[in-house]
Amino acid sequence: SLHIIFINVQKIVCFDDYFTTSQHTGHVIVQELEILKPQKIELSCIISDIPNNPTHIIGYWKKNGNEIENSKQTVYKVDKQRFIFKRIFNIQVNDLGNYSCIFSYLDKQEQVTFLLKVPVMKDKRDKPIVSYVGDSVVLDCKIKRMPNTWQWYKSNGTEKVLINATADPMNYKILLEKNVTKLTVLNLTEEDAGKYICSAVFEIKSSESHVYLKVLSLIEPLKPFIGITIEVVILVTLILLYERYGRSRNDSSVDDSSGTDGRRTRQRNLVH
Amino acid sequence: GGGQVATMPSTTVTSLGYTPPDGGWGWAVVFGSFLSIGFSYAFPKSLTIYFKEVQEYFSVSYSEIAWVSSIMLATMYAGGPVSSILVNRYGSRPVVMVGGLMVGVAMVAASFGTTIMHLYICVGVIGGLGLAFNLQPALTIIGKYFLVKRPMANGLAMAGSPVLLFTLAPLNQFLLDNFGWRGSFFILGAIVLNCCVAGALMRPITITAKPPANQSGGDDDGAVGKTDPQAVRLIDGKQRPERAGCLARVNKLIDLSLFKHRGYLIYLVGNVVMFFGFFAPVVFLAPYAKHQGTDEYSAACLLSIFALVDMVARPGTGLVSNTRWIRPRIQYFFSFSVAYNGACHLVCPLLPGYTGLVVYAVFFGLAFGMVCALLFEVLMDLVGAQRFSSAVGLATIIECGPVLLGPPISGKSCIILRFTSTQSSKVNNLIFHTTVHHLHFTTQRSLETCHANGCVLWTPSPLGALVDIFMDYKYMYFACGQEEHEKKREELPMGSARELATMEETKDSEQNIKLNQEKLTPQAKSSFIHVFKQDVYCTDVARMVLLAMTFWTTNISAIFLFSFIIWAYF
Repeated sequence: SLHIIFINVQKIVCFDDYFTTSQHTGHVIVQELEILKPQKIELSCIISDIPNNPTHIIGYWKKNGNEIENSKQTVYKVDKQRFIFKRIFNIQVNDLGNYSCIFSYLDKQEQVTFLLKVPVMKDKRDKPIVSYVGDSVVLDCKIKRMPNTWQWYKSNGTEKVLINATADPMNYKILLEKNVTKLTVLNLTEEDAGKYICSAVFEIKSSESHVYLKVLSLIEPLKPFIGITIEVVILVTLILLYERYGRSRNDSSVDDSSGTDGRRTRQRNLVH
Repeated sequence: GGGQVATMPSTTVTSLGYTPPDGGWGWAVVFGSFLSIGFSYAFPKSLTIYFKEVQEYFSVSYSEIAWVSSIMLATMYAGGPVSSILVNRYGSRPVVMVGGLMVGVAMVAASFGTTIMHLYICVGVIGGLGLAFNLQPALTIIGKYFLVKRPMANGLAMAGSPVLLFTLAPLNQFLLDNFGWRGSFFILGAIVLNCCVAGALMRPITITAKPPANQSGGDDDGAVGKTDPQAVRLIDGKQRPERAGCLARVNKLIDLSLFKHRGYLIYLVGNVVMFFGFFAPVVFLAPYAKHQGTDEYSAACLLSIFALVDMVARPGTGLVSNTRWIRPRIQYFFSFSVAYNGACHLVCPLLPGYTGLVVYAVFFGLAFGMVCALLFEVLMDLVGAQRFSSAVGLATIIECGPVLLGPPISGKSCIILRFTSTQSSKVNNLIFHTTVHHLHFTTQRSLETCHANGCVLWTPSPLGALVDIFMDYKYMYFACGQEEHEKKREELPMGSARELATMEETKDSEQNIKLNQEKLTPQAKSSFIHVFKQDVYCTDVARMVLLAMTFWTTNISAIFLFSFIIWAYF
């Protein structure tokens, strides 16, 4: 019988700068924190209902899978039921990662993981956006939390090239709204195809997403179009020819059905 | 009583002037009608797949894009009489071929569009008119080729709509992924030219023989007073003298005496009223399913199941109504199917869980297919194949009229439909995508109409009142679905995180105790900030709305049934 219940509560130091979601998947508990600014965060784990009711347990913290030095602690009961195990972390750019509180009792180990990271753009578009030479196209990115600013890059192989809309207004327009950004690429050419990266800049770090753009020439859709049109013309011609051929072979057409049909229908008439 | 019956315009051979072949080339004509009807109904619906991308391209709002669809549908309906007139004059084949060409040209022109107005005119007006030129003749020619097997032929032809929708939806997605919206419109223009092939199949009937001697009275029924130009043409080029006079001229083009036909009036009124609640359950099926806790994919599956059953039900109904027990009583069968529709919806809220919804989807698909298959068959039966063309034209424009003047309540029902289907290109999701997105976009408009397996919900006042209530619970409803819940979190201003945090702290102890009893579930919960209580309001409101829909539909079906009974017996 299951007897350990975990509750994760973050005592927050700066109210505005993080957001959390929690998931319970099987026996592993993971909590996600979206960090926007460098700040101090206190992570706490509350454990209750351990069998055999020990007076104290031993716990420690891990960062990214490695035990943090000197984090081992003996935790005593807070009230008759619960143990609270907490620690304050100073989160800077390099400190984003996975933090886990682990404690052991008897032979078992239990663990809760906190994922500290910048907000991610979840709805990545896996299919490329298709457009045509000479046309324009709008690429957009959305994110849940409002970043300080947005930036767009075009990827050339391994490097990223920043897109500067003010320097090149004939070809690019960038629209910045709170949670959404739109890049309009005008006067498309074949070289404009490729990977575009939108970057949401937060104080602590940037969060990136990408969109692929495909530029087709006008001939591309023409091929299926002509194919299908030819098929239609052929079919229509065949049907009309068949009809004319059939008609020239026998001049007669609809012949009278037997009287039974008429009688049956007349019967129907009477019913109405 | 019996006296009335004798003067009713007969549906028999006598009014046609010849015996329909009931087979042979008729089945090729059925295939042609299958294509034409399929394109007419499925094409506007399947275009909604492009709306999101076109909307981003032109930087317009949802409702502006939805206008494209509205205009297309409105024109398709308003073009009914025009189409009927042309069919009466020239026969089905030229009209369908011209219609197919029009839509093709319209789509190609639209692919070069630079403004949204360009799309309105090309896709909306010209495309809609072309589709109108496809629909009416396709229905009419079935009546010309079939009499005994007509219900079967009708059922098969009407099956074109779900089959083509099923085909066009993934095809459109494929085109969009590979060619973008412009290229797709261009290629669709070619695909739609296949309507011309369908038109080529619609060989006009030519007869040389005189009307058979054992028919009563030739074509001199008192009720069928005027000479129909097409009948004139049919009888081997002999010209009958045409009646002079203005009214007779109009009557020559389109048969206005239909408005004196009591059965036709009942049909019209019943139709107009029935469609208010007819398509609503399809609209609410997926949201209701999602509210019950099923994920998006399963909700999409429901609609696919519905479409598949619909596909099979239509020819099935045709087959059944062709039997000698049902054929004479086909109007009752139609009323029964409308009532069965209503009964289905009444039972829906009582069925538990996802399997309940699947069962409901199956039965509803059956009911829907039955009504659609019989819709035009009944009309043909009522007014006769000769006048059918005018009848269906007048019916569509009358259904269009109230809608153009309708109240903008349907805009609110879009709240219910705000499901952003993800980009999955699986067929299931596409049907869902198509239907719901179309509904989403088009219910923004106030002027939609829906027909048979129509596209759109127009909610009149009683339902609108419920939708108003729904609006109050908008945020509650948003809290129901997972996506919506995350959106709600977005909308919370940053500062309120503090309040939430303090709320959380005070709730800590309560939660501890509560969670102590909770088992660890494998499913992820979307957020631990539960500001709104999810379950209470959503259940009540969704249930209420669904019940109202079913009530409405049963009401209408009951009215329909009673009217037919009264009409037949008095």
